[in-house]
Amino acid sequence: MNVISCSSNTLKGLYDISGVEVGQHFYWQIGGLQVHAQVLITSWVVIAILLGSALIAVRNPQTIPTAGQNFFEYVLEFIRDVSKTQIGEEYGPWVPFIGTMFLFIFVSNWSGALLPWKIIQLPHGELAAPTNDINTTVALALLTSVAYFYAGLSKKGLGYFSKYIQPTPILLPINILEDFTKPLSLSFRLFGNILADELVVVVLVSLVPLVVPIPVMFLGLFTSGIQALIFATLAAAYIGESMEGHH
Amino acid sequence: MANMIVASSNAKPLTPPTTFQQHSPKPRLQIPQLSFPNKITQKLSSSSVAATAATTLKSLSLLAVSSLTFAPPSLAADIEKAALFDFDLTLPIIAAEFLLLMFALDKVYFSPLGNFMDQRDADIKEKLNSVKDTSSEVKQLEDQAAAIMRAARAEISAALTQMKKETQVEVEKILAEGRKKVEAELQEALADVEKQKEATIRALDSQIAALSQDIVKKVLPVKQ
Repeated sequence: MNVISCSSNTLKGLYDISGVEVGQHFYWQIGGLQVHAQVLITSWVVIAILLGSALIAVRNPQTIPTAGQNFFEYVLEFIRDVSKTQIGEEYGPWVPFIGTMFLFIFVSNWSGALLPWKIIQLPHGELAAPTNDINTTVALALLTSVAYFYAGLSKKGLGYFSKYIQPTPILLPINILEDFTKPLSLSFRLFGNILADELVVVVLVSLVPLVVPIPVMFLGLFTSGIQALIFATLAAAYIGESMEGHH
Repeated sequence: MANMIVASSNAKPLTPPTTFQQHSPKPRLQIPQLSFPNKITQKLSSSSVAATAATTLKSLSLLAVSSLTFAPPSLAADIEKAALFDFDLTLPIIAAEFLLLMFALDKVYFSPLGNFMDQRDADIKEKLNSVKDTSSEVKQLEDQAAAIMRAARAEISAALTQMKKETQVEVEKILAEGRKKVEAELQEALADVEKQKEATIRALDSQIAALSQDIVKKVLPVKQ
C-alpha cells in the first residue's frame, strides 16, 4: 500500500501534465442553447489553416507548378481519383464535397495530434481535434446522408425510392435500415477512432512520459489519415451507389 | 489502475468529496464522487438505464467516463458534467461551417486549380498535336529544299551546256580559220606547183624540139 500511495502522488503529477479529460466540454450559451466551444474554436483553426494554405498556394497558378502548388495539385488529383473511382464519370460536381470532407477530417485529425492545443488553457474541458467530438462526426455523417439522398433524387427523381424494393420487396426493412446505419457507422467509426487514439496517447504519456508513446503517436497519425480517407471514400461510395442505375 | 487510484484516494483524500453540479434542468443521474467502488457505480448506472429513456444516453456516457478514465481525485472534482454523447447546437453549427468551408474551398481551391489543371492538360495535348503537324511542315520544307536543289542543278547544267556551246563555236571558228588558212596555203602551193609544172613543160617543149632535131640528125645520116 505504501508503494501505491507513493505512486499515486507521482501519478497525480503526471495526470496534471497529461490531463485525461473525456466528455468534458467548455460550454458557451447561444440563445439558451449550449455549444461546445472547444470544438468550434479548433474547427475555426482548422478552417483557417485550410483556407489560408489553399489561398497562398493557389493564388497565382503557374504552368510549371511551384512546390506549394504542386502539393495542392497532388491533393486535388488524389481527391478527383477517389471521387472518380467511387462515383464514376459524373464525379465532377461532387469533388468539392468529397474533397472538403477529406481535407476537413484529415486536418482536424492531424491537428489533434500535431498542434499543441494543450498550451491554451480553457476554464473547462480542453482543446483537441474537432473530430473527437460526436457532434462533429454526426454532423458530417448527416451531411453525407443528405448528399447521397440529394444525388439520388436529382439523378432519378422519385424513381430513386424504387431501390428500396430492389432486388425483392422482402429486403425493404433492411434497405430502410441501411439509411440509418450508414450515418451511424460513419460517425461512430470516426469518433471512436480519433477519441481512442487520443486517449491511448494521453494514457501512455501519463504512464511513460518519454519515448514510448512516440510509436503510438505515429500510429495515431496513420490512423487519422486512414480514417479521413475512409470517411471520404465511403461518402463518395454512398453517393455513387445512389446515382448508379440499378437493373 | 482505477482501483489503485481509488484505493489511494480513499486512504488519503486529496479533495473534499463534492457532488456533481447540474447545469441543465433535465433530471440527471447524480454520481457524487469517483471514490465509489466500481460495483456501486455500475449498479447505480444500470438502475438509471432502466429509469428513463431520456437519461439513458447521459448515464451511459457517465458510466463510460467513470470506467474509461483514470481520473485522479483532483480531476474528479472538476467533472461536473461529463458527456461523451452530448448533442447540442454544436452539431448544426459544424454542419453549417462545413458547408461554408465547402463553398469557400470550391471558390479558392477546387474550381480554380481544377480548371487551371484541365486547361494546362488541354494546352499540352494541343502542343503535342501541333508537334505532329510540324512533321508535314518538315516535309514541305524538305520538298522546298529539293526543289531549290533541282533548280540549282538545272541552272548549273544549263550554264554548262551554254559554256560548252560557246567553246565549241569558238573552237569551230578557230578550226575553220585554220582550215581556211591551210586551204589557202594549199591552194597557193598547188598554184605554185602548177606554174612550175607549166614552166617546166614549156621548157621541156623547147628542149623536145631540139632533142627531136638531134635525134633526127643522128638517125638520118645513117640512113643516107
